[in-house]
Amino acid sequence: MVDIIVVGSGIAGLTASIHASDNGARVSLISPDYSERSQSVMAMGGINAALDTKGENDSVKEHFTDTINGGCEINNRKAVEMLTRDAPGIIDWLSRIGTSFTRDANGSVDLRNFGGQKKKRTAYAGSRTGKQIVSALVNACRKRESEGKIKRFVGYRFLSLIFTDKNECCGVNCIHEDTQEIKSFTGDAVIIATGGYNQLFGKILGSVQNDGFATAKLFTQGVELANLEMVQYHPTTVSTSLKRMLITEAARGEGGRLFVERDGQRHYFMKEMYPELADLMPRDVVSRSIYNVSDGGKREVFLDLTHLDEDTVKIRLDEVWEICNRYLNLNPLESPIPVFPAPHYFMGGILTDENHRTNIKGLYAAGECSCQYHGANRLGGNSLLGAVHGGLICAQNAVLEKVEGNPVTAVDDEVDLYVNGDESLSHALGEISDIMNESMGIYRNEEGLKKGLERLNDLDTNVNAKYYDCQKVRLLKILAKASILSALSRKESRGAHQRTDYPQSDKNYEKATFVTYENGKIVIR
Amino acid sequence: MKVKIKTGDDYQIFEYNGELNISVITLIERLDAPIEYSCSCLQGICGACAMLINSQPRLACKTFLNEERMVIEYDQITIEPLSKFPLIKDLKVDRSILFDVLNDCEIWLENDCEYDGQDLDFEYEMSLCLMCGCCSEVCPNYKLGDFAGAHLAVSASKLVNQESDEKHLKNIKNNYKKHFFSHCVKSTACEDVCPMKIPTQRAISKMNRKSVWKIWQLLNRD
Repeated sequence: MVDIIVVGSGIAGLTASIHASDNGARVSLISPDYSERSQSVMAMGGINAALDTKGENDSVKEHFTDTINGGCEINNRKAVEMLTRDAPGIIDWLSRIGTSFTRDANGSVDLRNFGGQKKKRTAYAGSRTGKQIVSALVNACRKRESEGKIKRFVGYRFLSLIFTDKNECCGVNCIHEDTQEIKSFTGDAVIIATGGYNQLFGKILGSVQNDGFATAKLFTQGVELANLEMVQYHPTTVSTSLKRMLITEAARGEGGRLFVERDGQRHYFMKEMYPELADLMPRDVVSRSIYNVSDGGKREVFLDLTHLDEDTVKIRLDEVWEICNRYLNLNPLESPIPVFPAPHYFMGGILTDENHRTNIKGLYAAGECSCQYHGANRLGGNSLLGAVHGGLICAQNAVLEKVEGNPVTAVDDEVDLYVNGDESLSHALGEISDIMNESMGIYRNEEGLKKGLERLNDLDTNVNAKYYDCQKVRLLKILAKASILSALSRKESRGAHQRTDYPQSDKNYEKATFVTYENGKIVIR
Repeated sequence: MKVKIKTGDDYQIFEYNGELNISVITLIERLDAPIEYSCSCLQGICGACAMLINSQPRLACKTFLNEERMVIEYDQITIEPLSKFPLIKDLKVDRSILFDVLNDCEIWLENDCEYDGQDLDFEYEMSLCLMCGCCSEVCPNYKLGDFAGAHLAVSASKLVNQESDEKHLKNIKNNYKKHFFSHCVKSTACEDVCPMKIPTQRAISKMNRKSVWKIWQLLNRD
């Protein structure tokens, strides 16, 4: 029997575990907390699939084309082909395992409009699609746990990969958050599903648990990353006393419109600039437009839902209703919502091929931590799809792996070398996120990026903290540098990467940016 | 304002003089003291930060100081860990029993989900359960042991609509009777504290009808 190790128990990790176990593997599912606490539950708007139930002649081909156009041509085309082809089957599977998708009058899974797509293609469950999918996946996973096919290890954070003497990945070292116990898991293949590297940008829209440790550690252990410069700014986020929160794209899909006030008049600028798709242009375009009409944030931009009917706002956009009332003290049926773009999603990350293989034998990645589907800009509704699809494909391939060599080191050598410094942890992490936010904004240029790099070089990472956090600061510094170097190397503007010093896109850069860590040096190619 | 936080057997007292339009989680962050607590989403959808705030189980990221009576009238707030689960440290507790009991009670589908449009809204609401433990914390009859807590009724009530495997359905119902029905004293406090406003009484009455009051099934009323 094949042993598969899955790190991360959000939608990608759950899907991978379920399918790996159905394909005959024994699965160890490792995560710092239960799936209910994962960032996946925060996904609101929906999941794309060309179901073509709205009489609009939608097709898999159009889903493919929209995804590639949205990604500005640097997506992995083979991966997108598989993604869009398998999407209708994924909706069917999610329904069969008990996801309570919103239905239309015919009882079919309902579809709504989403950005970058002219046709109704986004299946949804109210505006808590992620939560509803997680709920169904948890039940499916629980069944396999009871059968002894999946064993959960909750409370463990990823520390490092374990390799064999034949340079295959055969396991992971983890640390228990509460007891500090270090535990090694070995098997035939490892699937990483640890989410985006949010903490590089500080307290952003997603979960504070998605800290980027795993991605950064993998990088230093020889795993190739790609497109780190491609950070999606979600156009419509709101400022609360806790953090910025996201107003789902579904709000615009249901008819919400952006406006700015000039000379006492409301200007619905998206409609003025892009008459066809208007507020449903891809996210990179909407974010830039908001940035520009607001003079970089000096003028307020509003999302107007006041013309929508009560049921749409309270039921189909229930999460928006809740956020506005609870955290903004604002009734979106009466007042427009002040919005501004903020870092939201990482298109880049662990480079995988269309089979979700990394450059290391036996190592796979799925979900937001991985990079293949989204190119320079992800379409709304493609992240949940990518997470499920990634989990599915990983599982199919990982169960065919068989380790040939012997594990080299089962326990992380570095633990012995652990030295506690004097620097404050929160200061060091704050400095990294400040640097990233300043140099890697919606618009970048060489001067700002180089300045960011200098500040990173000066950063003292010898923090006084627990072992995990000490490691994290050092690793995030490396990942931050790799991101900035990636951004510097792409001397053009494309999707989420906009350079004021190179404002045009350049055919020579119509490819991914690859980055590796070789003998302590970051190498871009 | 006086902030009392239970850490171990004692309370640590802090003075806070900042704005009041902030959540309890923001307050804890601003104290900048080494206090351990669980959190993930910071917007009320992951259930991690459930704790006792002025003796009420609440999500710290969804509870605002300026809406707390103790803050408004007495200028103080008391923050404690949930009391019915094993303490890990400070405000962090081990809620694994909530998850384990759902495994024991076979909360899953054996067959493909059966879709009935009439049940959809109910199933959607029941799927919102955060597994935060607030309902168990407030329940006068809940203590670690045979009584699973209201989240079992919520999770099971969704499945009884969706499951078509009769044998498995019977197991779910029997487990419900054993781990819920024979313990619940119907205080209905669970519904009052649920941060997702899940109508737990509807879940419980549905499960009671389905698994205990067989006459309802004979009359085919549900």
